[in-house]
Amino acid sequence: MPWYLYLALKQLFPTGKRFPFFTAISVLGVALGVALLIVSISVMGGFGREIRRMIVDTQGDVQIRSGGLINDPKALMGIVAKVPGVLGVTPFAEGVGMLEYNRKPVFPAIQGVDLNHVNDVIPLNRYIRVGSLDALDDDTVILSSQLAYSIGAQVGDKVQISSPLLIEKLKNDEVFLPRELTVAGIFEIGHQQLDSNTVIVTLRRMQDLYGLGGAVHGLDVRIAANLDPDDVARRINAVLPPSANAAARSWMELNQDFLFVLQLEKNLIFILLLFIVVVAAFSVTSSLLIAVVRKTREIGLLGALGGRPREVALCFCFQGLLIGVSGTLSGLALGFGFLACRNDVLHLFTRLTGSQEALVRFYQFSNVPAYLSTGDLALIVVSTIVISTLAGILPAWRAARLNPVEALRNE
Amino acid sequence: MSDVILEAFGVHKTYLSGDRRLEVLRDVSLTVARGESVSIRGESGSGKSTLLHLLAGLDRPDSGEVRWTGTSDTGTERRAKFLGMVFQSFYLIPELNALENVLMAIRMTGSIGTAECDRARSMLARVCLADRAHHLPAHLSGGERQRVAVARALINSPQLLLADEPTGNLDEKTGDAVIGLLLELCAETKTALVLVTHNAAYAAKTGRVLFMRDGVLHTV
Repeated sequence: MPWYLYLALKQLFPTGKRFPFFTAISVLGVALGVALLIVSISVMGGFGREIRRMIVDTQGDVQIRSGGLINDPKALMGIVAKVPGVLGVTPFAEGVGMLEYNRKPVFPAIQGVDLNHVNDVIPLNRYIRVGSLDALDDDTVILSSQLAYSIGAQVGDKVQISSPLLIEKLKNDEVFLPRELTVAGIFEIGHQQLDSNTVIVTLRRMQDLYGLGGAVHGLDVRIAANLDPDDVARRINAVLPPSANAAARSWMELNQDFLFVLQLEKNLIFILLLFIVVVAAFSVTSSLLIAVVRKTREIGLLGALGGRPREVALCFCFQGLLIGVSGTLSGLALGFGFLACRNDVLHLFTRLTGSQEALVRFYQFSNVPAYLSTGDLALIVVSTIVISTLAGILPAWRAARLNPVEALRNE
Repeated sequence: MSDVILEAFGVHKTYLSGDRRLEVLRDVSLTVARGESVSIRGESGSGKSTLLHLLAGLDRPDSGEVRWTGTSDTGTERRAKFLGMVFQSFYLIPELNALENVLMAIRMTGSIGTAECDRARSMLARVCLADRAHHLPAHLSGGERQRVAVARALINSPQLLLADEPTGNLDEKTGDAVIGLLLELCAETKTALVLVTHNAAYAAKTGRVLFMRDGVLHTV
């Protein structure tokens, strides 16, 4: 081991002596910064992952849409199902309609699902809170939770649904009566927009409401877990007949603006919290500068023993690096330790503040999700160690500039 | 003269103190032969330590020249193998124990193995500190610290030992012991010694006594 690395280690962690106070403070500062980064980025990552899972659960991994209607969905489903990696395909029809209950009209998004195939792609059962998906048929409807709450409808109540086709028919002096459907269930996905304004009916009922005949608006596709949705979308596009005038797009492409905002938020949090590490790095610089002043005569001695200014500088740079590594390791332990008991902390906090119900109502969760990707972990570790090492440069430069003769004379 | 290991010719050194120019060394010339012991006496501020720093290559003369003729090594090893230094204030590294302080002089030039550790232990035993090898400087007396410094200065078997007031911080009895040890070890290892001291008795124990007055070196 080169002498400057050995001395850096000994000065930070001397044998037979208590852990030096300045070292402890510097390591603690870096550790707190790293711990905060780990906790924040993990929780952000956990929320992001939940949201992504929710999107995939409601849209599938890949969605096929045409400019207008897909008139022969069965033929297209047959073609898509043969694409390697495709596990399931389900058609859907969607649109806006008017729902009325007890003279309270609302205008929800209506989703028509094919009961024969929907479970192959969209795990609707997972989100049914009251009632059952098995009870859904052409005469029933499933309401989203906040919509049901806002109109006061419950399972077993009858609601009236009509579509823009009503107006179209009136233009031709025809009458199109609203359909009376029974509420068969209430679902809650955890997405504010979907939970406040969506109803689910059978595909046949939706085709009836919109006068689509046998046509649909698109197909949702489920793929194998280890495959890239963009790749599969490309493969599907390659086999889609031009006559269908349809295109497959991955869920990432369909939601790229939303995903961009999610990523932007996470990046901003990372940069803001990284400033804690930068502040800790100033503490490292300050400690090492004090060390240079306190050890001026020893630095002079190193010159007298034959140490070169470059090596003296490296000794202090290594101290910055070692503080960074120690702080990062301690911060990782602290951060992951906190994450391990995050739900206990949350439950304690909500119990003390009486906000348990509010938490579940507004955030649709009772546990804090956490997910830290390897890339994020590597970014936190590398940036912290680099910043801490840079913190040692100024003291190192000061130490290297010391004239051995003047340093030895220093009292 | 083939036995000469150190030569200084016409060395001048001036320092600026505010607006004043202080001429610390004036036309100093000195040669030191292999195994020779030389002492330099003089009053405080007469330029003794400055001369020692110039001889050690820690500083450069304004004019004149200092030559290490006793070595053909280059780089960091040149200094470590050619000269050792002992200071009035010991300058031990407080985080290292006595053995590690001695080993530090070897570390500066290469890696440490069992042989080097044994050599350092032997050197500590030679300065009567075998049982204090694992003590930190803070737990050693002044005399013990200076003996560790002597062991560190001699561990690389240098040809020249420069000692700047090595007894300045020690009581008379301990000082006597350290000077005795220094002279004995230098004689044993054929190491040349340049000793800067106020003490006439210690100076008298060396082979040649020089006197520094107002930056000029006189032969006594």
